[in-house]
Amino acid sequence: MNKKLAIEITNLNKSYDDVEAVRGIDLKINKGEFYGLLGPNGAGKSTTINSITSLVKPSKGNIKIFEKDIEENFRFARSKVGIAQQEVSQDWFFPLEQLLYFQAGFYGVTRPNAKERIDYILDKLGLSAHKNKKMRELSGGMKRRLQIAKALVHDPEIIILDEPTAGVDVELRHDLWTYLQELHRDGKTILLTTHYIDEAELLCERVGIIDNGKLIVEDSVDNLKKLVNKSSIVIHLKNDIYDINFLGGFDYHISEKKVYIQTESPNLDLPKIILKFSEASINIEDVHIPQTSLEDVFLDLTGRKIND
Amino acid sequence: MIKNWVGFYTLSSREIMRFFSVWRQTIIPGIITTLLYIFVFGVALENRISEINGVSYKIYILPGLLMMNVITNATANSASSMLQMKLLQTLPELLITPLSSLELSLSFIIGGTIRGFVNGALILLICWMAGMPIVNLPLTLLFIFLVSWSFSSLGLFVGQLSDSWDQLALIQNFVITPFSFLGGIFYSIKMLPAWAMTLSQVNPIYYAICALRESTLGVSDTSLIISSTFLVFFTISTTILAVQLMATGRKIRF
Repeated sequence: MNKKLAIEITNLNKSYDDVEAVRGIDLKINKGEFYGLLGPNGAGKSTTINSITSLVKPSKGNIKIFEKDIEENFRFARSKVGIAQQEVSQDWFFPLEQLLYFQAGFYGVTRPNAKERIDYILDKLGLSAHKNKKMRELSGGMKRRLQIAKALVHDPEIIILDEPTAGVDVELRHDLWTYLQELHRDGKTILLTTHYIDEAELLCERVGIIDNGKLIVEDSVDNLKKLVNKSSIVIHLKNDIYDINFLGGFDYHISEKKVYIQTESPNLDLPKIILKFSEASINIEDVHIPQTSLEDVFLDLTGRKIND
Repeated sequence: MIKNWVGFYTLSSREIMRFFSVWRQTIIPGIITTLLYIFVFGVALENRISEINGVSYKIYILPGLLMMNVITNATANSASSMLQMKLLQTLPELLITPLSSLELSLSFIIGGTIRGFVNGALILLICWMAGMPIVNLPLTLLFIFLVSWSFSSLGLFVGQLSDSWDQLALIQNFVITPFSFLGGIFYSIKMLPAWAMTLSQVNPIYYAICALRESTLGVSDTSLIISSTFLVFFTISTTILAVQLMATGRKIRF
């Protein structure tokens, strides 16, 4: 992977009156990386990404896009980034296609040069049939697609999506995931904020967990899961049983007809354990190895669930 | 300095297209109001009010009415466009683009200027058809342009600072409208007591009306040099004010 940095945030702090929304965030995102900022509402995700686009003025800290300071090189930095805000905007005056031409124009793309790109995006996001409609005539899902189209209209190298699938239907959610994976394959750097665990697990190469304005941990999804010592085997027995001393070498407990066995290598230990049950003539109905999710990681690190 | 010319042109065009797309709200009302004034003052009141500075009362008030329309339209355009963008969340999509504060401000100001100028030019035509002379047409158009530009800048300033339509209406009702009426639309300030006359001389709208009255009717309460110098100074000041406020990002970047 090319290790050139697309986004570099150093010691980002932001306070609103007495509230510290972001407290010393350091973040490095490589070019071509799919990075997810995961955290509950109000954790500081939007403040962080809006600082990258200069919508938020940091109280302290420094941000670089492709190694250039975003304030000193604001035209360069902003032209490299496309962002779909969480809040859907409403422009009542113009049809959808015209709005995209305006947005491209703001980025310095002339109308003739924007045409091919706009036609492509309209088609890609399923908006072609609606291009002459004004926003009042669009459904919620269509508005969200338009929001994303606006972020992509100038073909940015870095795409930032703030909760892109919040409140959208399942079909659009999956369409969007497929499209984002395609953009990633094309070499785009993608920064996604979400509070949906499955979204982060499916899409992101690296995930940063943010809570109370601090980045508490960041790593690949697999490595994050290893942080939680939850690896275990659950054996569901046919009959009640109280004496399973033959499992002496393992840490275990019994609840009703289920035996919970703690182990760091469930796949390796499972055959040995089944053999022991078989030797003791205890009938097994089902065997289950629960998977650790990012939800468990979040719970383990913060002591609460992400959507609490 | 302007560097993103395509962006600047696009936003200026958007601002102009925006008010033209709702021309029933932005062009027609000024024309109707002026026609009503001409009708009421011309038909009902003219014989009861004597001439001012040798000009019939109906004609005397027309440059003032014209300026009031220009001021209202220019101010409302940039103010409402800015506030609407804030409230409907389209402003963030604009602020993240590679447009500088100067490019952003000038585009909004141009939108309001064109609306003020178009309204002014149409009302000038109506006034001329109603019998108002135009002593110097190029100067008249220049004054309409300057007033449009300066009040569009002021509108942008107010729009950026406003958080709601109520606040905007407050400025319109308690600042713009009283200043317009006290700027001498319906009277010569020489008819006022001395203290009110002095007060009128710090009212920018007074100079706007004086300048236009001079370039159309050839009569005025103050000299053309003073009123036109004031207008140029006022236009530059309001422009700097609006551009500087945009650069601070106050109430738009957080």
